Amino acid sequence: MKFTVIKNLQKDSAMSLILKGFLFFILLYIVSDIFVMKSSFGISADAVSSTLFGSEEAYIDPINESSFLEFWHTQIFFIMMILLTLSAVFIRVAKRSRNIITNALMISALISLFSLPLAFYTSKFFIDIYVISYFLWHLVAIYMIFYSFWKLNARSV
Amino acid sequence: MQEAYKLSILYYLAFSLLLIVSALMLFEHKIGFSFSGVLEYYTGNEEKFITAQSAGGILKIVLPHIFVFGLFAMVLLHFLVFADLRYKENITLLVYAAFIVALLEIFTPFMIIGGFEFFAYMKLFSFFTFLALLLYISWLLFQSITYS
Repeated sequence: MKFTVIKNLQKDSAMSLILKGFLFFILLYIVSDIFVMKSSFGISADAVSSTLFGSEEAYIDPINESSFLEFWHTQIFFIMMILLTLSAVFIRVAKRSRNIITNALMISALISLFSLPLAFYTSKFFIDIYVISYFLWHLVAIYMIFYSFWKLNARSV
Repeated sequence: MQEAYKLSILYYLAFSLLLIVSALMLFEHKIGFSFSGVLEYYTGNEEKFITAQSAGGILKIVLPHIFVFGLFAMVLLHFLVFADLRYKENITLLVYAAFIVALLEIFTPFMIIGGFEFFAYMKLFSFFTFLALLLYISWLLFQSITYS
């Protein structure tokens, strides 16, 4: 977290390069996450519904509670770590709208994580909320990554 | 500390709370909060068709948790350094307690399958104490951020 106290990141070429490398890996994670989720859990409302509750037509068994809780638990940890580090970099380089963007990112991620167990235990209605908030936080995160890249290449940060 | 960083930490605390809730749900579902539940989960029960855990099986579960417990505790605890100064006197004690209890939580299953049934109590104690410590640290941070 040393980068949070460096006065001019542009002048510190090593730290700037480290942050760019880090941002690139977060971008890779975010994009890969979409592909992995597409092939495993599902990224459309129908696919998520089939995973959670099964599908007789497609001969898919519903996910058991134990596997679901393990999946949810793991997701929470990875998302919180990714978003904490990404927001730390973004807050350091961004000047305007950083509170709004950070709020949008965190709230949409929290909604997606809250809606998963609500969908599993209470109502299918929450699947739509999960899918929308899942894509929302991914889009906001990708925006933050590219914005941070751009700012790190700017004259002074 | 900048306002935006405070916001980021507050959200981290919210995620931590969610992680604690999911850990409780997972523990309750897979193991249970009773002495017999913990014992049966690790040493098995023929009548209930619960197979005993092997050291290799436990190690598979423990391995990611070693890294995750360390990282999670480190991130949460290091925020205390940025928090209000009056909490700094207790930081050393909290750091020791958090890491020692986390170690106990991780390694007690090996003692249970080694025949030391008493460690089933230790498993429950360390699990709840670790979560309680995380909640206490989160509360200190929350107070420090919101009232500063």
